[in-house]
Amino acid sequence: MSDHAIDHGHGAHAHGAHAIAEDHHPGPAVYLLVAVVLIILTAMEIGVFYAPFLQAWLVPMLIVLAILKFILVAGFYMHLKYDSSVFTTLFAFPLLLAMMICGSLMLLFLYLKHHPG
Amino acid sequence: MAAQPKPFHLEQANYLEGGGLIGWLTTIDHKRIAVLYGISALFFMALGGTEAMLVRAQLIVPNNHFLSADFYNQMFTMHGLTMIFLVVMPLETGFFGNFLIPLQIGARDVAFPRLNALSFWIFLLGAISLNFGWIWGGLPNAGWFGYANLTERAYSPGLNIDYYDVGLLILGVSSVMSALNFFVTIVNMRAPGMTFMRMPMFIWALLVTVILLLLAFPAITVGLIFLFADRYFGSHFYEVIAGATPILWQHLFWIFGHPEVYIMALPAFGMISEILPVFSRKPLFGYPMMAYSIILIAFLSYGVWGHHMFATGMGPVADSAFAITSMLIAIPTGVKVFSWIATIWGGRLRFNTSMLFALGFILEFTIGGLSGVMHASAPVDLEQTDSYIVIAHFHYVLFGGVLMAVLAAFYFYFPKICGRFMNETLGKWHFWMTTIFFNATFFPMHFLGELGMPRRIYTYAGDLGWNFWNGFESISAFFLGFSFLLFFANVAWSWFNGERAGADPWDARTLEWSIPSPPSEYNFVAVPTVHSRDAFWVEKYGDVEASGLGEKKINVELLPLPRPEEVASIHIPAPSLYPLIIAGGVFLGGLGMLIGWYRLVFLGLGLLALGAISMAFEYKEWGQDNPHQVGESFLGLDNRKLGLWSFIGSECVFFASLISTYMVYKSRSIGVPDAQILNIPLTSFSTFILLMSSLLMVLALAGFQRNDRFWGTFWLFGTAAFGLIFLGGQVYEFGSFYHEGMLYNSNLFSQCFYTLVGFHGFHVFIGVVWLLTMAVAGLRGKIGSSRALSIEVCGLYWHFVDIVWVVIFTLIYLMRTINRA
Repeated sequence: MSDHAIDHGHGAHAHGAHAIAEDHHPGPAVYLLVAVVLIILTAMEIGVFYAPFLQAWLVPMLIVLAILKFILVAGFYMHLKYDSSVFTTLFAFPLLLAMMICGSLMLLFLYLKHHPG
Repeated sequence: MAAQPKPFHLEQANYLEGGGLIGWLTTIDHKRIAVLYGISALFFMALGGTEAMLVRAQLIVPNNHFLSADFYNQMFTMHGLTMIFLVVMPLETGFFGNFLIPLQIGARDVAFPRLNALSFWIFLLGAISLNFGWIWGGLPNAGWFGYANLTERAYSPGLNIDYYDVGLLILGVSSVMSALNFFVTIVNMRAPGMTFMRMPMFIWALLVTVILLLLAFPAITVGLIFLFADRYFGSHFYEVIAGATPILWQHLFWIFGHPEVYIMALPAFGMISEILPVFSRKPLFGYPMMAYSIILIAFLSYGVWGHHMFATGMGPVADSAFAITSMLIAIPTGVKVFSWIATIWGGRLRFNTSMLFALGFILEFTIGGLSGVMHASAPVDLEQTDSYIVIAHFHYVLFGGVLMAVLAAFYFYFPKICGRFMNETLGKWHFWMTTIFFNATFFPMHFLGELGMPRRIYTYAGDLGWNFWNGFESISAFFLGFSFLLFFANVAWSWFNGERAGADPWDARTLEWSIPSPPSEYNFVAVPTVHSRDAFWVEKYGDVEASGLGEKKINVELLPLPRPEEVASIHIPAPSLYPLIIAGGVFLGGLGMLIGWYRLVFLGLGLLALGAISMAFEYKEWGQDNPHQVGESFLGLDNRKLGLWSFIGSECVFFASLISTYMVYKSRSIGVPDAQILNIPLTSFSTFILLMSSLLMVLALAGFQRNDRFWGTFWLFGTAAFGLIFLGGQVYEFGSFYHEGMLYNSNLFSQCFYTLVGFHGFHVFIGVVWLLTMAVAGLRGKIGSSRALSIEVCGLYWHFVDIVWVVIFTLIYLMRTINRA
């Protein structure tokens, strides 16, 4: 049937060629290690918040720490590090769009604030 | 392909037969759901057309008082809302999308058939909510864009805007559910061999359209939630007096609104790209460029919303940026127009009604597109905005373009849908009357706009030079309306009495024409394997470039009957009443909120919960509503997991809209309370709890994956318990704020804070309910390693809620001092 554009009746065999490739997840040890890192990062966030001498660096430090926590949860607990890249794309593209919307709105309103007329 | 001289088509049971009324109310067959969408949309087309006739009757002469000013406002508002949300979108995605997606990709149904039925019933009840003002309280009357602060309670005290708000919210839920369903279907349920670059162009268009839907609707959903809060809870999201700005609504609306234009246009492009090759007997010219241009149009559509807002004073930098992106979008659109022309160039054209509408589409859409390029220029737009030129432009795009394509598709696919042709004589009368009177109605609007006639004007003085063209347009519009009566009559007559059509009446190119007309419930006896683009054409003639004039290699009319054992082995999910019950709950809840009858709200919520839980446990064996097995998926991925990731993508935009509103309004908030009220120690503890709940969640998953039901269930209960502790902390936090005098509507800070954090808390609550449901199923021994994926899907949602909190904790709580700066 290979010279035909459609094969009728062989669908199930062809489908079977696609294996499920989404069960290579880490074990409890990795999950526990990630949890420890998450606790440390959260403690660092709170420490940065209360440390008077770090106030000048508050925003960039908090953003970096939040990004690290975000990546750890998404990568290990949501298995993006192990699963099909399709899922990473499905998450990354809307996330990028969401950040662009946030950034655009903040810039547009910043202009409006300084040019109220 | 041994042929037997035994025709089988109409003698075989098809999807339209059997079941009676109950069969239709409980159907989860994508083709029946498509027909339900089609009937609803045609009804609303008649209603929206009548509204347009009333608008034109009011404008036919100067100083006219045929309608009251308020009713006129209701009519032009409802005409826009009806045509966009209840006619074009449901016809393109609900009707043609539902019917054609599984057939064109070689699938037996969509990925989530019961969700599909739920989408339809919610759509229908949302449409009724939007139109409820016909019988009680008055219809929406502030334009389809419902600009703030005209929509605030102070300026619109009646129920009109409430119907608008709740109706669009409900319709949005339906659209997002359909989009998610179609996305998973197209990505994961294509027949073997149907790679992306072998998909029919309509499928490409639908794929990109549903991505737009998933990522655009959340923005307007947030805008509508703010409007609801303003009208019902006394907040001030759009009121200057509280430091807010109505411009926020315009941004949220148009972040959705411009992609919405392409949500309507792209399926039309896809339809035309299917019809022209068939009636030209040539393959689609420049297939790869057509596909890429659809993607590029969609991508750019997110960066052009500001061109609707040039007149609001966004500043020269923003104006320039939006003007450039708006002009850029004309390039991929132009590529498509040239590809269509190249497709018919040198072809052996057949000028039947469908082809005539398709050709009419190219001409009218190009006219509309050219005037669109004019509006992309900020200085030109400032002169033309809110004038009748804009009305002319978007009617050339949406009527001359999109609706012409839909009509072409109606005449083209009608034989496949019901097994009969539409009447060609009536069809040609319909085409010529539509084309002539459409142009007679809308082209003079360019002149009226240049003469200074503003849009949405109730009546006008007789000495402004507008009289002749208004009279001319109105009379033309009445003839245009009459042409649609011919169309409706043709549909009704042909459905029962039209000439019988075979499986492949047009000698067409794609898979849906390889099966009987109308198709059987299961679509394909055996799922086909595809080896090329235009697979059915190649099957018939051996080559995608073949003229189609030679002898066919196969004749589908003479294919053998399927053997009974083949049909018996096909898994078709059973009908379900629960989608209708859930939708009824949504409707009653929404209606109760609108009219302030809270017993109805509780009844609605009860029905919703009952329907949802019953549907979850409807089948003893999970996955029985899945029309294919996981191992048969195109990508080798589970549909539920793909669906949940798509939903998470959509949620990203939802929370981004909430967070950006908080960030924008935090510094505009007047007086106290402000962010200094936030309790960092308490929320630090809550953050720790939520992060640890994610650990318990993955431990639960690991337990079920190794078939350790005890620990799996134990950790699931633990996750739910941590979720409840988090919620308890939030209740305590909100309660203490309340006692300190921070009410929901105290100021911009309080309303933004409560809305954002409250919605996150609502997501946690849903997650806890889901977790407890899973835990109980685990206790009852219904979850083993083979079903661990159900736990993983639930966990993905839970982890997403967790990372949203990571962002909220950082931006809202820990960066609270930025407010002081």
